[in-house]
Amino acid sequence: MLMCRELATKASEYLDDRLGAGERLSIKMHLLMCRRCRAFVGQLRNSITLMEAHSSQRLAPAYAERLDHEIQRALANASGDNPG
Amino acid sequence: MSIAVQHQDESQLLHRLQAGHADAFHEAVRTYTPGMLAVARYYTDPSSAEDIVQDSWVSVVDAIRQFEGRASLKTWLHRIVANRAKNLLRKQGREVTMDFADALDPALAARFKPNGRWAVPPRISTVESAEALLENGALSECLDKHLAHLPENQRSALLLYEAHQRRSDEVCNILDVSASNLRVLLHRARQKIFLMVEQFQETGEC
Ligand SMILES: [Zn+2]
Repeated sequence: MLMCRELATKASEYLDDRLGAGERLSIKMHLLMCRRCRAFVGQLRNSITLMEAHSSQRLAPAYAERLDHEIQRALANASGDNPG
Repeated sequence: MSIAVQHQDESQLLHRLQAGHADAFHEAVRTYTPGMLAVARYYTDPSSAEDIVQDSWVSVVDAIRQFEGRASLKTWLHRIVANRAKNLLRKQGREVTMDFADALDPALAARFKPNGRWAVPPRISTVESAEALLENGALSECLDKHLAHLPENQRSALLLYEAHQRRSDEVCNILDVSASNLRVLLHRARQKIFLMVEQFQETGEC
């Protein structure tokens, strides 16, 4: 019989559909009977969705401009090395 | 956006980069730098990471002409950053160390009884949809804050996993981490966010 702690350990693999048929079935059986683990898995699924929405990071404009500047210098050097 | 369109866009950008167009680099910097910073942050502190990414871009100005397109441009850029960061660590005699002992975050593990049942069960009885949660601006800010405070290796693993369309093989390759260790990093990061959302919903505080 699968315990709640073990289910929590495997929940992430379960949500990514990376478990074998046997393990998947025993988790489904447990979830049918256990309201607490249902709440856990539901909220973990939400957490994953929330992080996806936030995983595109913003780039600090000042740093992007610093990179533009360094790249322009490197481009100028490169064209100086190989005229034409 | 379909994958075919992405590929077309990337190959057009690549041609302009190889021709040395400044506007192409301007565009590429804005598209690819966040992912490159995530790679560098896996290995080092924020300010060194910015320097590593800057040096990488400067080297790309020359190296892009030899790029043959065997990997995607994004993967190629990420590998350049990873190699630079690893070389730097080696010179400084440092190594990335990680704790992969348990797939459960300690704060979550503490909520189970010795017999494996919940001692402190999840506190949310009605689970709101993620969409509803995202409409809460205060939660969004809280999420930003917690993502920023995740251990670097967990956050980088998470960001790169999404940036590479959940292709574990590419992420493992770039970060030099085994598939199972990558899974542990992802699980632990997700559990931390779970704990944060739970506390936020219960107390309304971050
Ligand atoms: Zn349970």
